[in-house]
Amino acid sequence: MKIGGKLIFSNIFNFLLILIIGAFAIQNLNSILTKLKFIEIADDLNFSFLEMRLSEKNYFLYRDEGALKEIEQKAAVTQGVLNSVSRDVIRATGRQNYDLLERYLGDYLSAVKDISARHSRDLQSEERLRVEGRKLMEFSDRITHLERTKVNGIILYSKQVLFVSFFAILILALTISHFLSKRIVMPIKEIESIAKSISAGDFKIIQKDIPNDETGSVIRAINSMSGELRSREEQIIQSKKLASLGILIAGVAHEINNPLNNISMIAQTYADAYDSLDRGQRIDFMGKIEGETERIKRIVKNLLDFSKPKEPDLAVADMNGIVKDTLKLVQNMLDVSNIETSLELGAGLPPVFVDGHQIQQVFVNLVANSIQAMSSGGRLTISTFTGKDGNTVETSIADTGKGIPQEFLPHIFDPFFSTREDAGTGLGLWVSYGIVKNHNGRIAVDTKPGRGTTFTVSLPAHK
Amino acid sequence: MSARIMIIDDEKIVGDMARISLEQEGYEVETFLNAAPALDRLREQGFDIVVTDLKMKGIDGLEVLRTVKSLYPGVKVIMITAFANLDVAIEALRGDVFDFFPKPVKIKELKESIKKALQN
Repeated sequence: MKIGGKLIFSNIFNFLLILIIGAFAIQNLNSILTKLKFIEIADDLNFSFLEMRLSEKNYFLYRDEGALKEIEQKAAVTQGVLNSVSRDVIRATGRQNYDLLERYLGDYLSAVKDISARHSRDLQSEERLRVEGRKLMEFSDRITHLERTKVNGIILYSKQVLFVSFFAILILALTISHFLSKRIVMPIKEIESIAKSISAGDFKIIQKDIPNDETGSVIRAINSMSGELRSREEQIIQSKKLASLGILIAGVAHEINNPLNNISMIAQTYADAYDSLDRGQRIDFMGKIEGETERIKRIVKNLLDFSKPKEPDLAVADMNGIVKDTLKLVQNMLDVSNIETSLELGAGLPPVFVDGHQIQQVFVNLVANSIQAMSSGGRLTISTFTGKDGNTVETSIADTGKGIPQEFLPHIFDPFFSTREDAGTGLGLWVSYGIVKNHNGRIAVDTKPGRGTTFTVSLPAHK
Repeated sequence: MSARIMIIDDEKIVGDMARISLEQEGYEVETFLNAAPALDRLREQGFDIVVTDLKMKGIDGLEVLRTVKSLYPGVKVIMITAFANLDVAIEALRGDVFDFFPKPVKIKELKESIKKALQN
């Protein structure tokens, strides 16, 4: 069931529960009112019965014949009253009790009438009068008492029911809010954390059971977005690799063109000046050609090393060696851009456990940025040293370029962030950051606008 | 008097090979691996043609072109480069370069270009 449906259902259920409790409370109140009304009537009747019995006492004690008349009158009046309130009494105590009350009153009255009609005081009749009077009194007292007890009972019962209902509603409300928290808030929390890790570049997906409701649709959408982003990221990294490879190829093409030109010129001269060359010169020419092909071979080897697939291939390595290899790749770019390079390689560095090609790629990206920052030439200093605590190997690449404005600093490692007006993809630092992070390393930047920038890559030393 | 040709290229083989071919044609050839000593030499000894590489450490070919043209506007400059790029070519043309050869250089074409430059 969808969450919306469940909420409507539980709200209707709660509403009905409150309605039932309300109806119950009204019904109880009505019943209490009826009983109280009866008790009021019963008090009146009891009072009348008491008066009748007082007259009865006068009759017996003082032999007052007039008392019988009083009793008759009062009984008739009381009968009238009883008739007029018959509905209330029946409702409160039931027809049986009413009939009994009426009968006892009738019996009492008939006993009085019997005595006053005979004008004789036989013991039997007087005894009957006494008995009927007592029966009437006792019955009336009993049902009054009974009704009072019932009222107390009803009040107590109402109290209990309301108490229980209060807890029932409380528990229901807690259950509903727990349900809401479980079915809505928890998934939203989860989605929030996923969104955070996605924006941090970690394209996780929610693996838990996906509920078949609204939050489930959101989770499915997020998962599919995350998966899509992951594959896009892979494509981007791939194309970034191709792009940096492209930069290298341009450099390498230039590099290859020189020995190629040398070979071509040797061959042309050899053919042109064949007759004027002595044996030694001819052999020297061929030796030079061989030397130039060696040059090309070395360049091609570097190129192949760089373009190998970038599956992390960790190995114990010497950071100074990696830096030197990197420099071979970028030397031409540096020369062409009129940048002087100085290497300050630390002695006795601990070894590192890295993918040398990936770390080279990081350095190539950093050097490419430095070159970009020093468009009118400058000095690039690459230094390696052991970290302060001895557990890291640090490589810093410092340029004397234009620096990074303070407001850009928080964004430089974001994908697609570029200050370059040319074809900068804005991915170099991002890719570098990812590689360094995969090596459990850190990459830090220190920049002074107008003075230069230093990137420091810190990688754990291999124990 | 034979024509004097200066060749500047940080690739030694370029100068060596060009010298052999051009000396066969009867030119006087001097080769340099760096632009700075070449320009010094140019100030003490006149040359008819300067053949220079474009991309070199220190002073590059465009700067050689500018310097030569400002000092001796009559000297023809021929540029060779392994790094052919339209912007550079345009800048070289604006600097009144006589000819422009991408590497690998055809020596025969270079000779013809030099001959033409000397006839001008």
